[in-house]
Amino acid sequence: MLNTQLLKEQEIKKAGIKSERKRKSSEAKIAWLFMAPGLVLLCLFVFWPIIYSVPLAFTNYSVISETKFIGLENFTRAFTDTNFIVSLKNSMLYVIVVPFIQLFSILMAILVNRKMAGIKFFRSAYYIPVVTSMVAVAIIWGWLLSQNGVVNYILMSVGIIDEKISWLSNFDTALWALMFITLWKGLGYYMMIYLAGLQAIPQDLVEAAQIDGANRWQVIRHITIPLLKPYVFFCSLISLMGAIRVFDEVFVLTSGGPGNATLTSSVYIYQQGFQQFDFGYSSALGLIVSAIIMVISIVIFAFNKKGGVNPY
Amino acid sequence: MRIISKSLKKLFLYFWLIVFALFMMGPFLWLVSVSLMPGENVFSFPPKIFPTFIDFKNYIEVWEFMDFFKYIWNTVVMAVIGVVLSIFFSCLTAYPLAVFKFKGRDTIFLLLVATMIIPAAAGLVVNYLTINALGLMDTYLGVILPSIISVFNIFLMRQAYMGVPLEIRDSGKMDGASEFRIWFQLIMPMVKPAIAVIGLLEFMAFWNNFLWPIIVLNDTSKYPIASALSFLNGQFSFNFGWIAAGTVISVIPIIVVFLFTQKYYMEGISGAVKG
Repeated sequence: MLNTQLLKEQEIKKAGIKSERKRKSSEAKIAWLFMAPGLVLLCLFVFWPIIYSVPLAFTNYSVISETKFIGLENFTRAFTDTNFIVSLKNSMLYVIVVPFIQLFSILMAILVNRKMAGIKFFRSAYYIPVVTSMVAVAIIWGWLLSQNGVVNYILMSVGIIDEKISWLSNFDTALWALMFITLWKGLGYYMMIYLAGLQAIPQDLVEAAQIDGANRWQVIRHITIPLLKPYVFFCSLISLMGAIRVFDEVFVLTSGGPGNATLTSSVYIYQQGFQQFDFGYSSALGLIVSAIIMVISIVIFAFNKKGGVNPY
Repeated sequence: MRIISKSLKKLFLYFWLIVFALFMMGPFLWLVSVSLMPGENVFSFPPKIFPTFIDFKNYIEVWEFMDFFKYIWNTVVMAVIGVVLSIFFSCLTAYPLAVFKFKGRDTIFLLLVATMIIPAAAGLVVNYLTINALGLMDTYLGVILPSIISVFNIFLMRQAYMGVPLEIRDSGKMDGASEFRIWFQLIMPMVKPAIAVIGLLEFMAFWNNFLWPIIVLNDTSKYPIASALSFLNGQFSFNFGWIAAGTVISVIPIIVVFLFTQKYYMEGISGAVKG
């Protein structure tokens, strides 16, 4: 009696598993159907460039000569190419802007995270550089930072500098001037994310701490900063990737000059591809830079394993 | 005493709010001021910061020289087609990643994450070759196609779908609706804010995109506004007033769009990170 019942139950279970399997496989079909159009485009314009640049990197593919397999020549050329080495160095140097962007955007977020008359105006005002095109930004700052520009005028009347500096065409200042523009254009974006982070902090937690006698700095130190950590990680990662891959600012303002003072790796890859039409070499450089960025991100994620931060 | 210290604190806060506002907005205000003073040299020293007179001559002249309506129209056409397609593709692709369990889901997800580390310039070369092979050079479709699927948008939509209660899908299933109908009629209305965000992000991206259109389009009369502006800047870099006026014209529409939609936009940005 008991046995038959057990058998029956097992049968029911089996049937359940079967139908579960059936359901799963039909679900998988539908899933792929949903994703198919998007995946086709992704394959064509995101994955294909990565895959195709691998064989391309081992050829001398260009518009001028016949395409030939040339082995590792592009790679050996890259490591003896002073311009490429300089461009890598400049891209790495550009990372210096990241902590400044994060620090100032956090300060701005704290500043606008309160209920005051006109606060919405200030929030949108800070965001406007983010929505304007890099072409417009480049025109404005190109003028402001020129020899006779407003920046020199202000700095000289305050007494910070004695001589006019043409910030973007001076070998020593050009890269820093570009970083400054990146900072200015990016602040609003990160401020918004941090603002969201600040507003997600439960207010009763702050109040409880205050009742226990915590002063404002203790609240910031022990509540705000720890709860903001995932946001800091997310923002730093995004702006780090942005800094290493920086292109638009450099391309429209200096295109790498004066000399190679502001030549970043993305700009150099572009120049090799679209100005020298040396697609093979350009692809090889792209692969090298991708590999470097990949190593950096693996290191960062390994260090941050415990944080358990979702990429989005 | 308390009232005084409170209003002092307020004064202090407003001081810093205004300092930052000047820093962020000052360059734009100065640009407007330059555009309103025809004949003034931007490179005279000391520079003119505030307008001493106001004259719209620059705007009239640059408008006559460059057909801004055409460039704005080009931009709007590309942006609208691009935004609609982009929303459609991102919404479809992200849905299974959020709600279905199937083999290969994690692999796809990992692949998507991995693509975010590739230097943009590296993809340009191969995308150029692809567009060329598809015979789409010098067409709007060639400009739009590579940017209508964005990994960032897929993540954003996935995050939004994961916030929709499971019961809604189950109730649709009870009624015997197909997965496609459940998605379109039950789930999509629930993720409208996220759709608004990717729509806006894409619209801004299309508005500000200048490099790819220059690469794909040979005919400069097909250029979107940002490419046209960079063309104007290259050709007439000595005519400051025109360029200033042109820049103001190109920037105003997107700022207006932003100001009218900022509510959704900012909510969406915060929603996107919370996951």
